[in-house]
Amino acid sequence: MPCGGGRHPVRWEAGSLLLPEHPDVEGELVLAALGGEKAGCVELAEAWQRHGADLSVLAIGPRHAADEIAVSWDDVVTTWPGSAGQPGRGGPAQHGPMRRPAAMPASMAALSARRQQMQQEHERAQRRTNDMLSLLALGYGFQARLGGQVAAAYAAEQADERTRPALVAAISGRLAPVVEDWIGLDPGQVVVSLHTGPGWGSVEMTGRGEERRLRVALPTGWLARVWACGLALTGRHLVVAVQRAGWPDARVLALRAPGAEPVELDVHGATGPGDATRWEA
Amino acid sequence: MNREGAETYLRLLGESELREPLAPEVRQPWSGARSGGMARMMAVATALTAVGAVDTEAAEDILADFDLAVSVRRTGRPQPGQGAWPAGRPGPARLAAGRTLVRGVLRAWPARSTPGAARPPGGAQVPGGAQVPGGAQGAGGAQGAGGAGGGGDVAAGGGERSAGREQAGGAGGAAAGGERFVSVGVTVPFGHGELYLISFAHTRSGARFTVVWRMRDPYSPPRPGHARMPPVDEFSAIDDRGGRYRFQFAGRDNPEWTGRLSLHPEPPDDIRWIDICVPGGGETRVSLDPAAPGGAVAVVREVTVSPGEHLLSLLAVRLLTIAPEFPHDLRLQLAAVSPGPLSNAAAGLGDVIAALEAADVLSPLSPLPGRLAALCAGLRVSGHGITAPPARDLPEPWLSMLAHYQRRRPDDSSARDGSAPMAVDLPELDGVRLTLLALGNSEGSTMMSVLATGLGPDTGRGSSGADMHFPLSIWVRDNGGRWHATRPSGWNLADGEYAITLHMVPPLARSTSWIDVLAAGRTAEARVRLPLDWGYSP
Repeated sequence: MPCGGGRHPVRWEAGSLLLPEHPDVEGELVLAALGGEKAGCVELAEAWQRHGADLSVLAIGPRHAADEIAVSWDDVVTTWPGSAGQPGRGGPAQHGPMRRPAAMPASMAALSARRQQMQQEHERAQRRTNDMLSLLALGYGFQARLGGQVAAAYAAEQADERTRPALVAAISGRLAPVVEDWIGLDPGQVVVSLHTGPGWGSVEMTGRGEERRLRVALPTGWLARVWACGLALTGRHLVVAVQRAGWPDARVLALRAPGAEPVELDVHGATGPGDATRWEA
Repeated sequence: MNREGAETYLRLLGESELREPLAPEVRQPWSGARSGGMARMMAVATALTAVGAVDTEAAEDILADFDLAVSVRRTGRPQPGQGAWPAGRPGPARLAAGRTLVRGVLRAWPARSTPGAARPPGGAQVPGGAQVPGGAQGAGGAQGAGGAGGGGDVAAGGGERSAGREQAGGAGGAAAGGERFVSVGVTVPFGHGELYLISFAHTRSGARFTVVWRMRDPYSPPRPGHARMPPVDEFSAIDDRGGRYRFQFAGRDNPEWTGRLSLHPEPPDDIRWIDICVPGGGETRVSLDPAAPGGAVAVVREVTVSPGEHLLSLLAVRLLTIAPEFPHDLRLQLAAVSPGPLSNAAAGLGDVIAALEAADVLSPLSPLPGRLAALCAGLRVSGHGITAPPARDLPEPWLSMLAHYQRRRPDDSSARDGSAPMAVDLPELDGVRLTLLALGNSEGSTMMSVLATGLGPDTGRGSSGADMHFPLSIWVRDNGGRWHATRPSGWNLADGEYAITLHMVPPLARSTSWIDVLAAGRTAEARVRLPLDWGYSP
C-alpha cells in the first residue's frame, strides 16, 4: 500500500495484521498525537482495529473469491479528507466573517447548530467510508480474513435480536452461492438460521417443486472457521465444521449431500491467486 | 410485531440483490429516484420504518452499507483514458457521501397519543367525536345521507351567510387548546382587485387567513419591482377592541396569488370581528365570533386495520392519484426513456408485501395484496412483483377512481376555478389532528388546504416523492357519489404545525354542493359532511 511517498508491504499472519516497515507503531502513534503526520500503514492498522467487530464489514465485503470488488489505492487516496479539494482535517470550511453566537437570533443559532451537526455527521460518514475503502483495497485475501475476525468476535457470545439479522444475512450471502455449486440449487431457495448450542447445526431439504428449500442452521463460528478459511466447498463436500485446525493440513466435518451424515475429511491447503486459499480433500 | 424478522428480511433482500448482475445505476428523470436494487431496498425500508418494524437508524445503516456494497462492485474495469473511475461507477465524492444520502429519508408514523379509540377535538363549541345516529339535516340544506361509502353515520351542519359588505363568517368554532377555526368566505374589494378570505385559523403558530388575491389590472403607474404582487403592506386591520394589525403574506402565484395572510401582532384569542382596511379607504368587517353556532360535526368509528394493511391502502391511494397524470398511452411513449413515476410507485410492491408479512404486521390471509394486484391490472401497471392473484372485489372508492381513469377522455373541464371555505376540526386519528381549512379549484386541479399537528419533526416527502410519512388517508365523496382520493403535494412546517396542501384526484366540479370527507387511520376513521359554498370565483 502507498505510505510516505513509497509503497510498503502489509502482512496478515496467524490472526494478526503486521506492518513490517513500521516496527514501532506505538511510538509512531505518540508522535502523531504530538502533531506529527501519521503514516498510511498506521492509519490502515487503526482502521482494521476500529472495524474488527463491525458487522458492516460482512455486509459490504466479498461473499466469495469471484465476488470482484475493484477498489484501488488510487480510489482511497482520492477520498481521504484533505485530498482533491476536500475539506482538510483542520475543520469545516468557513465562508465570510464569523459572528459570535450571542449576536445571532435564536432561529439563526439553531440553524447554525444544526448545520454544524450535519457537517460532523458527514465527516464521520466520510471517515467511515474511507476506512472501508482502504480495507477493501487490500484485496480479497485480507477482506476474507477481516470478515472472519468480525465473525469470530460474535461467535464467542450468544447472538441477540440486534445482531442475529446481520449474522443470518452474512451466512446466507456466503453459503447460498456455495450451495449452488454444491448441489445446483438456486440461491434463493436456501434458508439460513443461526444454530446455537452443541453440535455443528443441521442441513435439511424440504418441500417439492417451487416450495423446495434447503434449510441450513449453522453457528456464527462457521463464518470464521470455515468460510473465511476458504473451506466451505472442499472435495465436493459442504464443510460444516473444523475439527482440527492447522496449516497446511486440517481435519473438517463435511456433508456429501443434504440429509447425509457428516463425515470427517483430511484436507490440505495452498495459497492461490489473490491470496485466496484452496483446499483439497 | 416481529422486528427481527423484518430486519432480517431487509438484509436478505440486499443479499439477493447483490447476487444479481449489477447494471449501471440510472436516475429516474421524473423524480430522481434510483432504479434497480436500491429502489427495491428503499421501498421495503420505507415501508418497514413507517410501520415501526425497523428502527429508522438501523434501516439507514443497512441502506448505506448496501449502497456502498453495490458501488464498489459496479463495472469497475477502467477504459483507456477514463482514469480510475469508469462510466457507470460513482465517483469518489459520491462513494464517500453514500451514508449521508439516505439520512432523513425514512420516518416512522407518529405514535398514537392515546391508545385505543380516536380522541375528539376539544372545545365546547364543537361537539365532535360522537357518533350521531341517523342523518341530521344541516341548516344549509345538505342531505344527511347515511352510509356514504359503506357504513357509518354522517351528521351535517352549516352556518348561514348574510349578504352585503358586512358579511358574517360561516361555520366554525373553538377547537382544542384555545385554537379557533372559522369558515369566512368574505370578499374584500379594493382598487386594483379583490381579496377573498376563505377561512381563518388561530393556532399556536399565529393567526392567519387562507386567501386568494385577484389583481384585476396592472398598476398605473407600475410599482417598481412589484409588477403584480398583492399590495399587502397597504392593508391593515382593526379588531373589536381597537387593536391594530398589519399583514404578512406567504403564498404563490399560480395563476392567482393564493396562500396565508398572517396578522401581526398576534391578536387575542377571543376577538369577535376584525375590520380589513384597504388601500384608498374603505373597510370590510369579518366576523370571527367564537360563540357562533358550531359547524359540521365529524363522526368517528373505530376500525381494526393492521399496520401492514393500512400501509398497503396508502400505497394504493398513491397509485390511484398518480395514474391519471400518466395515462397508459403516454407511458408507452415514454417507456424507452424511463418507466415513469407510476411504475416506480409500483416497483417493489411484492417485496413490500413479503416484508410486511415477515414483520407480522400483515396477515398472509389479508385480501389487500390481491386487491393491489387487481388495481395494478386495472391501471395496466406491470413489474410490481405481487404474487397474490388479482382479487375480484375492490373497495367502492377504488372502483370509482378506476372508472374515472379508464374513461376514454376523463372530463376534468367542470373543475372551474373557485374557492370554498371549510374550517372543520377532525378528531385525532393515530396521533394526528387535522383541520380542514379550504378547498380551491385552479387550472383544472382541486387542492385542499389542511393543518396537521402530531406529525413527527421534519416530516416531508419520502424516497420517491411519496407521502409515506403522512399516515392518514383522506377520501372525498361528492354529492354525485363519485370518490376522490387525495395525496399531499406541499408541506410547510411552523411551530410544530404542518400546513399541507392535498391534491385531489379527480378534481371536484364547481357544481358540487356538498362532500363527505373520510379520514382514515389505523384505529379509527372520521367522516364529516360539508356543504360547499363556492363563494368566490374569478
